[in-house]
Amino acid sequence: MSNENILEMRGIRKTFGPVIALDNVDLELKKGEIRGLLGGNGAGKTTLMNILYGLYKSDSGQILVEGKPYDIHSPNDAIKGGIGMVHQQFLQINDFTVAENIVLGTKLINRPTLRLEAEKQTIRELSQSFGLPVEPEATIANLPMGIRQRVEILKALYRGVKILVLDEPTTNLTPQEVDALFESLRAMVNEGLSVIFITHKLREVMEVCDTITVLRNGRNVLTLTREDASEEAFVKGMVGEDLDVEKSIIFTPGSTETDLPVGQKPVLQIQGITVREAEIPMLKSCSLTVHEGEILGVAGVAGNGQLELAESILGLRPFVTGQIIINGANLTNLNTGQLIQRGVAYIPEDRWVDGFLPNANVAQNLILGLHRQPPYSNGRFLNWRVIFERTQNLIEEFNIRTQGPDEIAGNLSGGNIQRVMLARAFSQSVRLLIAHNPTRGLDIPSMEFIYGELLKRKSQGMATLLISENMDELFLLSNRIVVICNGEVMGVLEPDRFDKYLLGRMMSGVRQGE
Amino acid sequence: MGRMLPYAVAVLAAFAAAGIFIALMGFNVLAAYRTILFTSFRTPNGFIQTLLKFVPLVLQALAFTIPLKAGKFNIGGEGQMIIGATGAAAIGILLFDLPLIVLLPLVLIMGVLCGAVWAFIAAWLLYRFNINEILSTVLLNFVSFQVLDYVATEIWRDPFAGHPTTTPLGAGGQLPLLVTSPPLHSGLLIAILIAIVVYIYTDYTSAGYELVATGANPKAARVYGINTRVLFSLSLILGGAVAGLAGAIEVAGVHHRLIEGLQSNFLLLGIIIGLVSKGNHAVVPFVAFFIAVLEVGASAMQRTMSIPVEMVFIVEALILIFVLLTDVVRRQ
Repeated sequence: MSNENILEMRGIRKTFGPVIALDNVDLELKKGEIRGLLGGNGAGKTTLMNILYGLYKSDSGQILVEGKPYDIHSPNDAIKGGIGMVHQQFLQINDFTVAENIVLGTKLINRPTLRLEAEKQTIRELSQSFGLPVEPEATIANLPMGIRQRVEILKALYRGVKILVLDEPTTNLTPQEVDALFESLRAMVNEGLSVIFITHKLREVMEVCDTITVLRNGRNVLTLTREDASEEAFVKGMVGEDLDVEKSIIFTPGSTETDLPVGQKPVLQIQGITVREAEIPMLKSCSLTVHEGEILGVAGVAGNGQLELAESILGLRPFVTGQIIINGANLTNLNTGQLIQRGVAYIPEDRWVDGFLPNANVAQNLILGLHRQPPYSNGRFLNWRVIFERTQNLIEEFNIRTQGPDEIAGNLSGGNIQRVMLARAFSQSVRLLIAHNPTRGLDIPSMEFIYGELLKRKSQGMATLLISENMDELFLLSNRIVVICNGEVMGVLEPDRFDKYLLGRMMSGVRQGE
Repeated sequence: MGRMLPYAVAVLAAFAAAGIFIALMGFNVLAAYRTILFTSFRTPNGFIQTLLKFVPLVLQALAFTIPLKAGKFNIGGEGQMIIGATGAAAIGILLFDLPLIVLLPLVLIMGVLCGAVWAFIAAWLLYRFNINEILSTVLLNFVSFQVLDYVATEIWRDPFAGHPTTTPLGAGGQLPLLVTSPPLHSGLLIAILIAIVVYIYTDYTSAGYELVATGANPKAARVYGINTRVLFSLSLILGGAVAGLAGAIEVAGVHHRLIEGLQSNFLLLGIIIGLVSKGNHAVVPFVAFFIAVLEVGASAMQRTMSIPVEMVFIVEALILIFVLLTDVVRRQ
């Protein structure tokens, strides 16, 4: 790592209407450095990098590349300036090969015939030097996430970037793939690349980054090198006064009662559920049990049957074979409305699509699913007075930041929308909660809040099926963890075997006994 | 009240824009607007004409807004009204001699049922084959014209009439008058009642809530136990029922027979009313009344100043455009 700055961002300010996303942020990147950009959701990390990559225009501020001011109006400008970005959502065409995806949009030697021999050779060379082994002929659709990410990185390297920005690159990777990525990053830096690594995961950033900058509420709060750093300093930086770190569930897990004894009585028993979608089995003979007062975590890489599992339990997806037994009663053929009436609550993964009514107000959102039951309704007529009262109480209880029960729900921030979903789920007495990625995209205080609620209800006897792609979350909250891969249960782990590498292997398809 | 401001501005802007056209055509803009807006209130006759126009307008608007709440577009209010009118007239003619307390309810109920059945065709096609209701309802309008034509020229033809009309309904099938001269029929009370009932339904009942949730986000509604597929179709059928009632009331109250053209431009104006009201059932009756005022004023303007009625239609369309624009502006 040299001492000159290859990139400088000075005084970057960005507002979206009344919201100040970035408040005079400075950032420097030295040549050959791996810089971590750390912060909770909503801190401004992605916004800052989107400005760097030309997707947003800053209100004021300057960007200097290799000491010279450089105006970036579009990703093309960014790439010409040597800046490349790898987003969380890969921009790849499934039916094309690795090579075709990488060269898409660039100048081709053999354009009319699309013979890519020369290009493939370049790709192989890059792949060698940067430690990113890929097979140029392979079709994207058949590749696992880890390799698809390499393709995404190679897209940037192919275009000759000197600065690579990675936005939350480890989201969809197994622990083994994460290790491989970090190896590649070190190889890239040795070849002269400089890297900015955006993440909210503290431990990762301490593992691989040379220097770490913490953003909070749009401000650059802290920059420390790895030697000078401590986890504590970063945590304080990330949450400031928003969280009492001593009492926090996330940062000091030993401080709260997470291991309460689990009840013996099974609340949810799934036996042999098979779900098919157009002949393809999405869930294969899946069986599991959740007891009273238990949080059963479901781990797995996204898209391996988790959604089908949640939806089949809730009567939203038909299953070919299998039974669902709730509290001893065989409720296999019940529809969603009936299940909700029996104390089953659901927090869907995609809150915008599946979970809430953006154009309706907060009160109308809170009664969704409960609109035919007392106290909200006598079966026929809604009692708006009661509804508004309860909504006001729930807003206070769940700390939902909103102007009131009649604010249009679509105006709320992600964290507050999720609090509405939680308030809705918990506004009745819940026997069984199915929560799918409940803290995705949320800031740390909101995550903390949700964990607190889940644990509180658990101590009151609620059974929870926690489907999550966040391994830390699963380790923190679960009594047992079941791993799904390709729609099959790979095994169930007790706490003494909670190990991320073991989980990673199972998530990749290696079966484990009990 | 601050919420009303953008709409008030939209209306003023529409009048201003149309006023420019009127001036360019060489007419006196102020006189034109005075006629349009005040004719309804200058004479008892003007007011009653307005109320008579209000009845089918508010019902057609509701026929559009009820499905709109569920996210569906019922463009078949015309056909549903015509078929409702046909059924009502049929009963009124077939059972000519029955007394008022028997025949009138039958006539009105027949209108509701026939309108509902006509909408049911589109509703069923949607439910079973996922056929877009915009297409099916519009196409059924054209079919309904033929049905009315057939009934009025082949079955119960009035030989003395210049264009397709049936013979009159029995006296028992005619709506009693609230005011005799000029005639104002009691269909007004029915229309107001329906407007109130629909408002209570969508805004205060659990069933109405399900409709609203379905329109707001059908996927989320489904996830939380609402049978959206049924509600989509049901909303169309309810819309058709209201439109059918509008047809029955026109037959039983205004024309006392089935007459070609009774649907007038009510469908289009009903949709405009529904869209300007943003589907808000508390607001629909008021907007409907306002449009009725404009319509009555338009005829007067054409009679007294020779300005074509289409000018008012332009004003109404501009109101719609500007109201929709306020939404866009607000989002910026």
